[in-house]
Amino acid sequence: MRKRNSKQISATLATATCALLGGTMPVPVQAQEEDTWDFNTSLLYYGEDDDRVEDISLNVIATRNYIDDRFLTLGLSIDSLTGATPSGAITQNVPQTFTRPSGSSTYTVPANALPLDDTFLDTRVALSANWQQPLARLYELNIGASASIEYDYIHFGVNAKLSRDFNNRNTTVSAGLALATDQIKPEGGVPLPLSPMLDVGNVSNRGGDESKEVVDVVFGVTQVVSRNLLMQLNYSFSDSSGYLTDPYRIVSVVDGVSGDTVPRTPTPGLAGPSHIFLFESRPDSRTKHSLYGQAKYYMDGKVLDTSYRYMTDDWDIDSHTIDVRLRWPIGATSYLEPHLRFYSQTHAEFYVTSLVDGAVLPVYASNDYRLGDFDALTAGLKFGWKTGGGNDMSIRLEAYQQRGSIPAGQLIGNQVGLVSYPDLDAIIAQFSYRFGK
Amino acid sequence: MGSPCELLCEEESEGGARTIAMLVADEAWRVEDKFSRYLSGNIVGQINTAAGAPVEVDSETARLIEFSQQLHTMSDGRFDITSGVLRQAWTFDGSDRVPNANIVSDILANVGWHNVDWDGAAIRLPAGMEIDFGGVGKEYAVDRAAGLVRERHESPCLVNFGGDLAVTEPPASRPAWQIGIESLQGESEGPERVINLATGALATSGDARRFLQKDGVRFGHIIDPTTGWPVKDAPRSVTVAADTCVQAGMLSTLAMLKGADAEDFLADQGVDFWCLR
Amino acid sequence: MKKGIVIAVLAVVSGCSTMGVEAWDRDILAKDEMQLTSDPLEAAVDDHIYFSKEASSGGRGFGGGGCGCN
Repeated sequence: MRKRNSKQISATLATATCALLGGTMPVPVQAQEEDTWDFNTSLLYYGEDDDRVEDISLNVIATRNYIDDRFLTLGLSIDSLTGATPSGAITQNVPQTFTRPSGSSTYTVPANALPLDDTFLDTRVALSANWQQPLARLYELNIGASASIEYDYIHFGVNAKLSRDFNNRNTTVSAGLALATDQIKPEGGVPLPLSPMLDVGNVSNRGGDESKEVVDVVFGVTQVVSRNLLMQLNYSFSDSSGYLTDPYRIVSVVDGVSGDTVPRTPTPGLAGPSHIFLFESRPDSRTKHSLYGQAKYYMDGKVLDTSYRYMTDDWDIDSHTIDVRLRWPIGATSYLEPHLRFYSQTHAEFYVTSLVDGAVLPVYASNDYRLGDFDALTAGLKFGWKTGGGNDMSIRLEAYQQRGSIPAGQLIGNQVGLVSYPDLDAIIAQFSYRFGK
Repeated sequence: MGSPCELLCEEESEGGARTIAMLVADEAWRVEDKFSRYLSGNIVGQINTAAGAPVEVDSETARLIEFSQQLHTMSDGRFDITSGVLRQAWTFDGSDRVPNANIVSDILANVGWHNVDWDGAAIRLPAGMEIDFGGVGKEYAVDRAAGLVRERHESPCLVNFGGDLAVTEPPASRPAWQIGIESLQGESEGPERVINLATGALATSGDARRFLQKDGVRFGHIIDPTTGWPVKDAPRSVTVAADTCVQAGMLSTLAMLKGADAEDFLADQGVDFWCLR
Repeated sequence: MKKGIVIAVLAVVSGCSTMGVEAWDRDILAKDEMQLTSDPLEAAVDDHIYFSKEASSGGRGFGGGGCGCN
């Protein structure tokens, strides 16, 4: 009944208007909402102390807003990585020589210096696409794909997310699934796990390429708590399987009493490692669970953004992340945003500082510092402003530091005082420009 | 008109543009002088001060009254030109001064088109009642002005009286006129949407600045004449595209009066619309 | 631990049905700076940095990754 009355209004209204205006009615209306583009671009510099990693990247996200709440988002990221990263070998008070992953040459690290490997300097290009649209009155669908390529790694992924609103659109529940398949093609081929680093030209312990599959599932609830407060709670599950090892990282083999890395002599006529190093080995599966909560609170023009994430996995790693940002408006067109992030993780169960010569080899072993015990702190400041043309610019500067410790009982003999967790100090600097058409 | 009025005109000569501008301005002033409730000597003033006596009206006024009567029927009483007296109870200044319910119901006794005597030539209001063409006057003036321009000139023009607008022709320099709908955050945030209008009209009903807020409840400025109170759950802003500004204006007003059902109502009409909540 | 997480989520969802605001009170929530991810580009860049330097990833959305850095 209601529908029929509503339908008749248009025609009756047209007739009434015709009578009111007299004369001829104008031609029928042609109105079309304009599709718009929104571009979010940034230039990023990331640099670590002590000749470690440096990265410069250019990032662009372009969003096309179609009418009826549909969006196409395209992302492009180009990274240029230089510098070096700890290889996993421990510091010694004598120089150490290592064969490069390509197997074609060696490099030497001075005494008392942390061994760094610069092999993975690289350029990476990443692309992503996402389509978002309403499905029915309270439903929204997101589907996307991603791909990235660097000279020793290729990634492909697809993802989908379905959301539904409840409670007068105050509550949103969503479920998402992402699948990825990655190809690992290290220079020189994938080394046999826990096999020794060999002389130049000897690739007898090298294989071909490997792959890895990742399944991610996310369940989330977003809730409007009040006019000023929005909160979100997510549970994520991630399962990786396949080749999860770092093909370039090694572990030093040491004497069980002195703790010194066992020396070796290369085959006569060849160059090669000066000591015994084994390629690391990680399990071929990893299951992670995360719980993430976020709150955004508006107070008189200022916005406080706080979040907490807890992660636990079957490699025995637990982590906590607390992130706090406060957006502080300055005048009508700029703002200052201080940022503090605290992160803490416990080491993987197969994380070892070194392996004892002659002892039974564990199945898995790695001295990748990123699997160790450490706390990390990020402190930064962002300043943003609206340009004359109504677009957004911002710059941010952040300091990131990691401070870790070697788990009790892992240091042997002379390692005490010589070997420590490779603390990290880095600077993050970013300029970003957001504009639309 | 109570709001800034502008004319956008694609015309070769400045003289030609001035001629059209004066045509539009003259028509706007004519309609305002004739139908504004703020001027005591005009036809509306005579009708409102007749104290129960019938007043004969000219053909243009008769057409406006006929239109208002048809809208009253079409909208089940929600559009009612006798509801202007309710402004004595309600002042939408963003404060929390919500009137006493008794005051509102007292004034409501003087509202109701069914009490009016209209025979097609003369109108008689009971004492204490008033008519107010504010709900349709601006849109009517826009359509009148656009019609005159179309009749006498060929230049593509856009007539905009405070956000209620109509175009005479698509512009010559590009496919359509570009009109931005202001976002709820105001002008500095940029338009919420941009609409390409080649032909037709747009009208917007909105309460961004005119509202009352008390005890956490926000009252929009569109009063339901059947209750005397503002409509609950109305959108903050409704923009409708239609063939004429009068149609667009009536649909946006009726949508606001539908409150939470605004979007469903407009979807049923088959018109393009934009609701901001 | 997993059971605890599921119960916590259910408790939050069931408690949500009485909270919220009316449609006309969403002015602040509509602001760009009040969106959960108000700067998606910065979030993506940071996610990538921390994925490369730490053993955890994701939380807000999908796991991120897809690079040879971890």
